[in-house]
Amino acid sequence: MIKVVIIGGGWGGCAAALSAAQAGATVLLLERTDLLLGTGLVGGIFRNNGRFTAAEEIISLGGQDLIATMDQSARHTNIEFPGHRHASLYDVGKIEAAVSELLQQHGIKVRLKTRITDVLRLGKLVRHIVTDNGEIIEGDVFIDATGTAGPMGNCLTYGNGCSMCALRCPAFGPRVSITARAQVKERNGEKLDGTFGAMSGSCKLHKESLSSALQDQLESTGVVVIPMPEMLKNKISLGKKACSQYALPEYRDNLVLLDTGHAKMMTSYFALEDLRQIPGLENARFADPYAGGKGNSIRYLGIAPCANTLQVDGVDNLFCCGEKFGIMVGHTEAVATGLLAGHNAVRYSLDMQYLQLPRTLAIGEFIAFVHEQMNEKQHLDVRYTFAGATFFNRMQELNLYSIDPSVIKARVAEAGLSDIFSQRLV
Amino acid sequence: MMRPFMRCIDVNSEQCPCLLSDTNHCFMCSQLKGEAVCNCDWTGQCILHEKRWKAPRKPSDAPCRREVESTLVIKRQVNEHTYIVETEVGLELAEQLNKIGSFIFMRRVDDPEMCNFPVGIMNVKRGTLTMAIETIGPKSSRLFMPLEARVLLRGPYLNGVFGQPWIDSTKYGTILAAVGGLGQSNALMLAKAILANGNKATFVIAPGQAGSIFVADELQAMGVEVISVSSMRREGFAKLQELFSDKVDLLLSAGPDDLHNGLIATMHESGYNFPMAVTNNATMCCGEGICGSCAKKTKDGVWIRTCKVQLDFNQLENSH
Ligand SMILES: Cc1cc2nc3c(=O)[nH]c(=O)nc-3n(C[C@H](O)[C@H](O)[C@H](O)COP(=O)(O)OP(=O)(O)OC[C@H]3O[C@@H](n4cnc5c(N)ncnc54)[C@H](O)[C@@H]3O)c2cc1C
Ligand SMILES: Cc1cc2nc3c(=O)[nH]c(=O)nc-3n(C[C@H](O)[C@H](O)[C@H](O)COP(=O)(O)OP(=O)(O)OC[C@H]3O[C@@H](n4cnc5c(N)ncnc54)[C@H](O)[C@@H]3O)c2cc1C
Ligand code: FES
Repeated sequence: MIKVVIIGGGWGGCAAALSAAQAGATVLLLERTDLLLGTGLVGGIFRNNGRFTAAEEIISLGGQDLIATMDQSARHTNIEFPGHRHASLYDVGKIEAAVSELLQQHGIKVRLKTRITDVLRLGKLVRHIVTDNGEIIEGDVFIDATGTAGPMGNCLTYGNGCSMCALRCPAFGPRVSITARAQVKERNGEKLDGTFGAMSGSCKLHKESLSSALQDQLESTGVVVIPMPEMLKNKISLGKKACSQYALPEYRDNLVLLDTGHAKMMTSYFALEDLRQIPGLENARFADPYAGGKGNSIRYLGIAPCANTLQVDGVDNLFCCGEKFGIMVGHTEAVATGLLAGHNAVRYSLDMQYLQLPRTLAIGEFIAFVHEQMNEKQHLDVRYTFAGATFFNRMQELNLYSIDPSVIKARVAEAGLSDIFSQRLV
Repeated sequence: MMRPFMRCIDVNSEQCPCLLSDTNHCFMCSQLKGEAVCNCDWTGQCILHEKRWKAPRKPSDAPCRREVESTLVIKRQVNEHTYIVETEVGLELAEQLNKIGSFIFMRRVDDPEMCNFPVGIMNVKRGTLTMAIETIGPKSSRLFMPLEARVLLRGPYLNGVFGQPWIDSTKYGTILAAVGGLGQSNALMLAKAILANGNKATFVIAPGQAGSIFVADELQAMGVEVISVSSMRREGFAKLQELFSDKVDLLLSAGPDDLHNGLIATMHESGYNFPMAVTNNATMCCGEGICGSCAKKTKDGVWIRTCKVQLDFNQLENSH
């Protein structure tokens, strides 16, 4: 039996687990906290702009279960907010349990509160990994899905310090990169000013702490756009955002709230005393990060150099996905790369040729383009996503953007890749 | 397989972050080692954060151990050069020292700083420390002239035993110990810790350089099985070999490095490889990771300051 071990249970790791299991491997998914989904616990926006195309591609490629889980957990579908169309919002309070159950149905073994802190690499192979209490875990092939968020020292040096986000580093111990422990030199994303890292572009308020009028509007339409009081406009800095797709003037001139169960607020952080001057937010409180008045988590420190097959450079049996693969933002993006990493991990074990997605698909173009930008152009201060900015523009130019599921399905079929991620290889 | 570990003994204590972090010589925090991003092994606190939180501070405000003045009372003379002494240090410092591997730096009150030398804590009872001191050179000999000296004791220092994580994690198991000479001064604290975890313990003790066995009765009273031998090499190792079995969870060695290495050789000869905790016999001068007198090289070629770093004895270059 082929044993695939995945480290990190964010969207990337969960997707890798699913495709590896569907390909017929025994799968062990290790997560350091007591919840799956990582930063996906505080996001929620999907199917917006080019993510619609990517989601439909994932469905046609055989990764439909995860997209179906997002769809089924949606509080709102097909909504619009500045710069974004046909978005869905999943309920951050419900999605984790739903994904956990899905993985169980696929026979995937999930171990929570299991943090990997060491790697034994001999030559071009990872031999085993070690948990923080010394347990050795063996496998045929490993996937680094540890993300790039935190830990506290990075949030301190490159941001405003630990703001107590969903990753809860002080409680469960900080993120540890498997690639770095395998002695592969990593790369770091940058801000426009050249310093490392980038701050998340949104945070969450307790919906119950808003005025009842705002609550009603949020629940019925999913979106609230409040013009920003003049004196607060200059306090919002767009340049530091991880999510270039929200670095638009609309997000400086307005406070945009979305209903993901919590009230998702589309700014990095906001001093509470300022926030409370906005009508309807007089009693506002942060739900994530808890100290959202002072800052937010820093991401993109520790990106693995890898091929478009997602195999990590220099280590034959190590693959990566999600934010480890490149400077990318998003649940859909993490799922797409996760599915490919899990699938190729099984191909590695079977000595098969690796799958590389063609550039006729939005996902294939995404992976190749991100690598080109990072490697050849050395563009480390741009974040890539199907949902906006550089890559969404490119999707439109290349005619890859579509909201017609039948067109997308046909493209995948033409590439000969229909249901590839749900086919058994073993 | 056992995982090699390295950890600063002072992490999470009031000493941390210490002077080493000022110059990027902390070895726990990657950023305080001069690297650009985090790559730490979680210690329960973010040292970098503590550092920023406490900064800026003057070097003179650096965390410093307590120095207590007291009188050394000789309780027993074990042989011509070895004394069992007691001294009162107050409840707080005594409690901080009530741990395996604890020691203090000591000198006579009117002696200069350079006369400080490390002395292990043999036992702690309500604010009183018991120690065994062998007068072998200029620093230790100064203590007993006059006989009941006023001394300064600085502490707590805690890295007197390597492999402490093994001791902490062995519960309801079987533990064997080889104790030689002045290593006996570690035996009581070791026994306290392992018995509290429900372990069964057998200590093989030889008089060694100290020329006498002075902890057997007390160990027996605590519930340790004691086997006294006249020589560890000629008799002790063979006794231990008879006790080696798959049931043994941990091996302790309290005495000189020769004892540690002899025991390791005996263990390998018998085809076993138990986890080990052993006494730290480095020559120490400052105890703070600064002076470098305790530095030793690991098998990976890294120089570490053994007054601060917890590791497994067999990670050191000159171990077997
Ligand atoms: C506040 C915020 C809001 C966001 N909003 C949205 C949104 O609305 N829509 C959207 O599409 N994207 C959003 N994103 C981005 C998106 O969440 C991420 O890009 C994506 O989910 C990353 O997934 P990942 O699996 O690569 O990493 P992560 O989600 O970071 O997951 C990594 C996981 O690995 C675990 N881990 C790390 N180290 C170890 C180790 N050594 N051992 C074991 N486990 C380990 C971590 O605990 C974590 O669970 C948001 C991000 C943030 C921070
Ligand atoms: C953690 C620790 C705990 C100790 N506990 C005790 C104790 O409880 N009782 C006690 O009497 N001594 C103890 N020592 C040893 C003691 O500190 C030294 O014997 C003392 O520093 C010698 O100083 P000196 O000036 O008297 O002799 P020096 O002239 O400095 O040395 C005389 C001889 O002793 C050797 N020596 C020096 N330092 C050490 C050392 N650290 N370990 C072994 N041999 C050494 C020298 O190589 C030399 O051969 C301990 C040492 C350490 C590091
Ligand atoms: S005794 Fe000074 S560095 Fe260790």
